[in-house]
Amino acid sequence: MVRVMIIDDEKAIRSLLKITLEREKPLIEVVGEAASGIEAINTIDIYKPDIAFVDIKMPFMDGIEFSRLAIKRYPDLKIIILTALKDFEHARKCIGIGVSDYLLKPISYEEIKNTLKKVIGQIKKQPESDESCDFTADDGSSVARIKDYIACNYRDPEINLTSIAQKFGFNASYLSRLFKQKTGTGLNDFLLKCRMEKAISYARTGTLMYVTANEVGIPDPNYFGKCFKKYTGKAYSEYLKNPVG
Amino acid sequence: MGKRVAGKLKRWFSSRKLKQKVRYLVLAIIALYLLLFFFIYMFFIEKSMMNYTLESNYKTMVSIGNNLNSELNTIKSMSQLIMTNSNIAAYLMNDSTPGSRYAHNAITSIYDISNNFNYINSIYLYRLNWQSVHIARGITYVNTAIMKEDAWLKEVYDANGGCVIRINGNGAYITKSGEPLISMIRVVNDIDTQKPIGLLVVNLSSKILEDSYKDMEGNGKQFYYCDESFKPIRSVKMLTELNKLEITGERFNQTTTGNLGNKKIVSYYHIPNTPFIIVGIEKMSYADAIPSKLGWVTVALAALTIFSLTFVSIFISRYITSPIERLVQSMDIVKRGWLKRVSLSLPDDEIGRLKDSYNNMLVEINNLISQLIEKEKKMQKAELDALQEQIKPHFLYNTLDTIAYLALMEPSEKVYDAIVTLGNFYRKFLSSGSKEISLREEIGIVKDYLKLQKLRYEDVFEDEYELDESLLDKMVPKLILQPLVENSLYHGLRPKGEKGVIKISVFKKEDKIHIVIFDNGIGMNEERLSRIMDNSRNSFGFKGTIERIQYYFGTDDVYDIESVEGWYTRVDIKIPI
Repeated sequence: MVRVMIIDDEKAIRSLLKITLEREKPLIEVVGEAASGIEAINTIDIYKPDIAFVDIKMPFMDGIEFSRLAIKRYPDLKIIILTALKDFEHARKCIGIGVSDYLLKPISYEEIKNTLKKVIGQIKKQPESDESCDFTADDGSSVARIKDYIACNYRDPEINLTSIAQKFGFNASYLSRLFKQKTGTGLNDFLLKCRMEKAISYARTGTLMYVTANEVGIPDPNYFGKCFKKYTGKAYSEYLKNPVG
Repeated sequence: MGKRVAGKLKRWFSSRKLKQKVRYLVLAIIALYLLLFFFIYMFFIEKSMMNYTLESNYKTMVSIGNNLNSELNTIKSMSQLIMTNSNIAAYLMNDSTPGSRYAHNAITSIYDISNNFNYINSIYLYRLNWQSVHIARGITYVNTAIMKEDAWLKEVYDANGGCVIRINGNGAYITKSGEPLISMIRVVNDIDTQKPIGLLVVNLSSKILEDSYKDMEGNGKQFYYCDESFKPIRSVKMLTELNKLEITGERFNQTTTGNLGNKKIVSYYHIPNTPFIIVGIEKMSYADAIPSKLGWVTVALAALTIFSLTFVSIFISRYITSPIERLVQSMDIVKRGWLKRVSLSLPDDEIGRLKDSYNNMLVEINNLISQLIEKEKKMQKAELDALQEQIKPHFLYNTLDTIAYLALMEPSEKVYDAIVTLGNFYRKFLSSGSKEISLREEIGIVKDYLKLQKLRYEDVFEDEYELDESLLDKMVPKLILQPLVENSLYHGLRPKGEKGVIKISVFKKEDKIHIVIFDNGIGMNEERLSRIMDNSRNSFGFKGTIERIQYYFGTDDVYDIESVEGWYTRVDIKIPI
């Protein structure tokens, strides 16, 4: 089964693509969606896709920028760029950063099938590394350092589990389990918590949502809004009007 | 008539080339100058010449008279010698027959005496009884009967021993050849008693008259001797020139006849003590009258004048008309549509500066034209950009995908609606040809556009309209609102992450139509606001749109923009009603 993630700022297109891809079940499974590059960075470690469909034109962080980052971070990830423009310059850029293929809008089922066939053939499915889970004492101090690192760098919109793991020389899934064991919270949740607590303090001072979003390292205010609501149970605007707790 | 000719001449002259004008003008001036010079010169010269000639003429006439009198006096002296000769007295006093000794002696004495004198034609010596002796050259007929008339004698006797001078002895002596004779007649008195004893007649050849003016003749001067009735002595014909001359009691008179350049001075002089009138006819000769030095100076002056005028003409031609002509020829290339600069080497004077100015002007014009072309290009490019922004696949394909999704998920009514809207939008949007459409249609495009965009970004915005219907027929350049609305959507509302409003209002205020595009998106800070009219990527669509509006309405004051960062942006398009 190939795990697929769809990253596009337009919900309709994401949905259309999802519907189309689901015809390829069970070979393909759409494991997740993201409405922006920012959202994708924050969720990709959860979905762990083999293939990502990335719209080239997105606000806050465009497809090229995201792809460059993702390819560096996830060498096995296959990226298929979605573009409305069959443009040599674009194609050159995409190939240059290691994008696997690209698809032209409007989306046609035939092309998707062909492209998928091609890309799936390139996937080298590695067996799930099942490293031993005996964590050394030294790992404890690592977790502390990572917490400090997050507290210092949560404003950086590009950090996520994988980038931190790479920085500290861990395997991502290993770090995830380690962090959870040592702190009781997932690393992603910890990062989110740092950002949201800060966001709450901004909200208390009456800072506009998109400004706050930028300040706390989630420069996509839509995704930030979703995160904020999920974390606090209230919309940011409500929080602005009625800043309690 | 004269006016018409003058007008024609004026038009003709005006239409000549500059070079010809100068040439004609110089020629005219030379002609005028010469003519004037000639007339003035003639006038003064003639006047002075006339005075001079007239004066000299009088002197000549008097001199001729003196010459004649002097000769006559000589002859008189000779007659005196004859009269006082003893042989003559002896002949007259004594009774003697012809061929007698007295007569012979008398003739011999007369010969001896007269031999030394000129002009003597014949000498007759009469006794009181009209017996006579004579000597003569050539044949002379003597009519003694005339001499015996009282009238003939009376004057001689009245002269009281003086000489009476008569032409041909008043008819008593006629030469065979017809040559007139000058007769000097006097009574011979006895030395002691002073009583008349005889009559002496000395006939002189008329050569004496001719010799008196021989030296003055020539150079256009002619002289004629007349008797006291102005009858020419040598000719029977009267002198026609004398008709012009008023005969007065004066001894001398003169007048001028003839035309300028062919003038004659006619004069007469009654020579004292003689019955002769000398008539002089003199052709005026300028060569004589004008002092030669003055003549040369005059010619030199005239030559100098012509030379300097020619020089001026050449100068004008070389330094003014020729350069202008060359300049004009070079400028003529513009007629063929080439705004090419003139490259000529011209003197660094006004004409050179004219060329420079002309070149500068051409440069200016070329600049203006290229600016215009540039502007026109910009306009077209901006229009094209706006068009392309929508025609380019992003919008269409994304919208199509959206509709495809709707088709799969939503009720078919909504799909139908979306497809119709898309069709409407593209029909209006691509409405070929006209660059201008009514405000109503323009807003229609925006409405369709926003309707389609709402399908894609349904949680992002609401659109609101507040339109003054009476203003919607105003014609505006096509696609001026859509780019601004697009800016509101993509740069104002979407980055905000919260649902916003796009509001379009049309109203009239202070004689202008205001089209306001308002959005409560993230707005702009001062810095971005100030850079919105720069060519930066951030202001994409805005600058081009504003420039098109400015160009279309011919004024720069077509917009206001205000914005508060985080809150709103308000673009106010102001167009003349």
